[in-house]
Amino acid sequence: MVPDETFEALVFDWDGTAVPDRESDASGVRERVEALSRAGVHMFIVTGTHVGNVDDQLGARPKGRGRLFLCCNRGSEVFEVTADGPTLVSRRTATSEEDAALSRAATSTVDRLKAIGLEANVVSERLNRRKIDLIPLPKWANPKKADIAILAEAVKSRLTSAGVASLAEVVNLASDISRAAGLADPRITSDVKHIEIGLTDKSDSARMAAGWLGQRGITGGLVLVGGDEFGPIGGVAGSDSLMMVDALKRAVVVSVGVEPEGVPEGVMHQKGGSARFLELLDSQLARRAAHRVPRIDLDPAWVVPLPTTYRRDRVAETLGALGNGLVGTRGSREEDGQGTSPLFLVNGIYDDHDDLLAGPIWIGLELSTAHHWESDRRLIDLRTGTLMRIAKQGGGLRSMRFVSAASPHAMALRAEAPGTLLGAGEPFQPPQDAQNFEREHRGEVHLARVGTSNGGIALAAHDDARTHGDTRTIERLTAWVSASASSASFDEACDRLAEMNTLGFDGLLADHRERWAQRWADAEVVIEGDPESELAARFAVFHLLCAATDADESAIGARGLTGDAYGGHVFWDADVFILPALTAIRPRAARAMLEYRIRRLPAARAAARSLGLRGARFPWESAADGSDVTPRTVRGPSGQPVAIATGAHEQHIVADVAWAADHYAAWSGDVGFLTGAGGDLVIDTARFWASRIRTDANRKGHIYGVMGPDEYHEVVDDNAYTNVMARWNLRRGAELLARTKDNAEASGWRALAEGLVDGWNPERGLYEQFAGYFDLEPLLMSEVVSPPAAVDVLLGHDRVAGSQLIKQADMMMLHHLVPDEVRPGSLAPGLAFYEPRTAHGSSLSPAISASLLARAGQAERALELFRMAARLDLDDLTGTTAGGLHLATMGGVWQALAFGFLGLRARGGSLAVRPCLPEAWRALGLRFRFEGHPVAIRADHDRVTIACVAPLRVQISDRTQLCEPPNTTFALVPSVKERRER
Amino acid sequence: MSIVVAVLDSSAAARPVLEVAQRIGEMTESPVEAVHVRSDPLKSVETPESLAARNEVPFQVLDGTVEPEILRTMDRADVLVGVIGARATTGGRRPVGRTTLHVIARMNKPVVVVPPDLIAPGSFRRLLVPLEGTEESSQPVLDRLGPLLRSDVEVVVLHVFTDVTQPAMLDRPLRDLQMMGREFLTRHYPHAAGIEFRPGPVAMRVAEVSQEQSIDLIVLSWSQDISAERARVVREVLSASALPVLLLPAPPSNVDVTKAASV
Repeated sequence: MVPDETFEALVFDWDGTAVPDRESDASGVRERVEALSRAGVHMFIVTGTHVGNVDDQLGARPKGRGRLFLCCNRGSEVFEVTADGPTLVSRRTATSEEDAALSRAATSTVDRLKAIGLEANVVSERLNRRKIDLIPLPKWANPKKADIAILAEAVKSRLTSAGVASLAEVVNLASDISRAAGLADPRITSDVKHIEIGLTDKSDSARMAAGWLGQRGITGGLVLVGGDEFGPIGGVAGSDSLMMVDALKRAVVVSVGVEPEGVPEGVMHQKGGSARFLELLDSQLARRAAHRVPRIDLDPAWVVPLPTTYRRDRVAETLGALGNGLVGTRGSREEDGQGTSPLFLVNGIYDDHDDLLAGPIWIGLELSTAHHWESDRRLIDLRTGTLMRIAKQGGGLRSMRFVSAASPHAMALRAEAPGTLLGAGEPFQPPQDAQNFEREHRGEVHLARVGTSNGGIALAAHDDARTHGDTRTIERLTAWVSASASSASFDEACDRLAEMNTLGFDGLLADHRERWAQRWADAEVVIEGDPESELAARFAVFHLLCAATDADESAIGARGLTGDAYGGHVFWDADVFILPALTAIRPRAARAMLEYRIRRLPAARAAARSLGLRGARFPWESAADGSDVTPRTVRGPSGQPVAIATGAHEQHIVADVAWAADHYAAWSGDVGFLTGAGGDLVIDTARFWASRIRTDANRKGHIYGVMGPDEYHEVVDDNAYTNVMARWNLRRGAELLARTKDNAEASGWRALAEGLVDGWNPERGLYEQFAGYFDLEPLLMSEVVSPPAAVDVLLGHDRVAGSQLIKQADMMMLHHLVPDEVRPGSLAPGLAFYEPRTAHGSSLSPAISASLLARAGQAERALELFRMAARLDLDDLTGTTAGGLHLATMGGVWQALAFGFLGLRARGGSLAVRPCLPEAWRALGLRFRFEGHPVAIRADHDRVTIACVAPLRVQISDRTQLCEPPNTTFALVPSVKERRER
Repeated sequence: MSIVVAVLDSSAAARPVLEVAQRIGEMTESPVEAVHVRSDPLKSVETPESLAARNEVPFQVLDGTVEPEILRTMDRADVLVGVIGARATTGGRRPVGRTTLHVIARMNKPVVVVPPDLIAPGSFRRLLVPLEGTEESSQPVLDRLGPLLRSDVEVVVLHVFTDVTQPAMLDRPLRDLQMMGREFLTRHYPHAAGIEFRPGPVAMRVAEVSQEQSIDLIVLSWSQDISAERARVVREVLSASALPVLLLPAPPSNVDVTKAASV
């Protein structure tokens, strides 16, 4: 039974499948092909004949978004057919040697057959192949497809008379002869009457189709493959079975042929010939006309199921959040319910309390209480950025939802259910704590908005409800607009909606899928041998991409647009954890994040002045205007106000912002960035440190009264992380300043940097995290509890503050961010000392430690922490995922892969690669951008293969080498295993 | 109409039992009746009888074996809640009496256990509900507590962190604990006015928070399996609590409570 699903692409055989034979009237096929094109369906006709034969018979001239390709000459040619007719896309042309070899192979095969008494003839010499007729008798001059079984018997009888056991034996003979004739990869096919010796076959067409479709986000399960000869005949696999390539392994495969010896596993045998095939095409057209909900490719490597129990509903809402960097919608169920927390947020639009403003809820539908909706499965398809709901048992709700990656103001959902169970209801609902919520209707357009004096959000939606048989479908297109410091415009929202209507749901979805395919082309993660880690890593990258926008400035809060935790405020999470990943996988989004900081330089300068200091002092928590929005107090456990120290003391963020700007410039190759406004980020922050440092009588510089990343020790002096980052900031600022010839100030900064204490203790061979740290109680985590653990809750704040237990990597972060600023060889001793004292009581912690451990060659321990980080939200490890995803952790996961396990570093225009993989990983592959060019790296335990589009200098095995396009493989000397054993 | 039944013995501990029964009656808007069970028909009932009379509470004497008679009485269809003393002996921390233990382990209805030293407040306004953070511990509370309460009664949930439920990571501790608290309540008891988190041990924190939060009544769900880990906590609370404890029986479970999931 062919699944009743909507397919985005059809790959099908021509003769015997779409038409009974090559002389039949194909007008019915033509109408359907052109209608499917208008409906947006892509089609690939895969045939052994040449384009003239097919196009003359078919005569289609498609004018829709769906493209039509003729894959002719058995895998050797591809033509695209448009309103103007066929145009050659690609052709495999045999070399003269190959051509000669084909002829030799064919002639030799015929001679060998004749020698054993079997009369056979070479009957055609076509592009890249030779055709041999095994039964050159007038009776069998033009056999019909329907007579295949009779023909097979006749051929078998003829072969047997010549002492040949089967058709398969003839094929094997031809294959051996072809190799002997000089063909390295001969493709031998048979339609029973003939065997063909060729350079290509239908698998080449199928792979071409799969590749083209994959670039548009259309993979396996979204494709229907149709043919009539999948099953074996005479022991030879049917020619259509060659279309079942690995790249289409989840495709739905249908045979409409006679198939006398049955069909292979995975093929649905429908029989009925071309008439049945036309019915399949009709059903596709009917589904589209009825606005049926599309499907996703249920690829376990790309699909994440959401929790289904109601107690984990809010976690599911977070995990299923969708976004495009400008807006985010939580993955709430369509039906409202107690305890749900639907949310729609717009980047950069805040309320009067400097928290992100909650927008109208647009995803609600009316569902009858007669059905147990909670049993439905909900899945997030990472590959296409869609949230899918599938009823577990027949009759439930099926829906698909997306926030468009291609049309930034567009969001859409489509739902279907038995007619009595589903209604549209009012498209918009007020959010919790709605701010001035309004509704309006203009004809069939529904409008809603919220707003404060800080800004507003307006949405416009149109619902299209249809009934087809027993099934009711509802399609909702929703446009959003926003305004800062004023009311969002209903007129503008209506205009955006009108734009969406020209594309419609299917058009928007097709563009959205394609855009996601393009994103993944620059962000792919492959972990061979560890599918669970691979999926978790893809989940992390997915949500990083959902949080990212190329639009001119982007404020990415700690939880992005996936929840209301921390009001959407921006922390160092953005600069140090998220930005490095986006710089590599979506550089323009990283630039937009820096633009957010650049535009808040005036506020940062004002903040520094207010402290009596110079330069720019970025706040710990930032929102609309760049002023400090860190709460001063929070209600404590007993209701009493508890002071928050981070705002005043966690000043390392000043250097973190500068570091982010510098890292972006070095990695992206955006050389102009630091000579312009980006340079101000580095220079003004250096100026801050210059005024912040206090010099003692010994001319040593100190930074007193700060908090490092380890927040268990709140206000300390000379925190190593802060001081060394400040030192780096001063040096880098001095370099940039010197370019403007302001050498006096630059020189002063260099001197200050030289004198700044960094915590290095030569006797211990370690950096002291802050002054006096080594004198604290030498408590280890192994004496308390297994990490991760919020030990400040377990042991109490004062006990932990008096001990050496730390919340997360603090001074060890220096090895991650500025390894050239710390002493060579201090990584391993630092890890040996600090890791046992690290509680990993912060979600920022495990990924960074994983990266450092991998770099230090401790891949197995690194893997433990990597898995902890990668599954942090999937498993709700912190108990706070309901409030939003931990985007910094996700950025850290990518960094652990890139900078830890692959050991990547940008070094003066070259890329250093130093892999260290755990044993469970056969190989690790990443795609990203470096200096503006796409790069793909695959490393196993012995070698690294790098694909590039332009020559790339790389440092591998301590040698600078050149990677030439399209790809170069380098041996790892020593190998990963050898390094581990050392 | 549903009633609250107070089981009075002949000791001084009967007074707080009756007072608590009256508070429970106000809280549930149910009338109170008192019973006294005597195994010896010649034994005087003057103490409990006069106590009931002074408080204008209907009083009944039941002759028979004590524990079965109490169970039979509480099992009546009209009984909403039973109230019984923890033990006769006053003064300090002592285990629950044998009779009370027998009753609470078998009675599949809410039963309030009253410490002998209690001076009951004028009314019950604030309840403390310690929850483990598992479905099995919260479901009885969700199912059975709500119907017992007037709308002006406030419920405070307490979750005591153990090695198993200890938070793994708190990025911004106080704000994260608030978030965890909201999520905990949404999952386990959305009707609560608030939640308190404390590190262990459980019984000690129950007593501490009860005092801090001016709690009138502690509510515990349990499996009635006196051999299970949770029963240890119930016994400790009953032994040490200066407040009455409302026990809500849960359906039987095979879950190992030492492996209880976090939030």
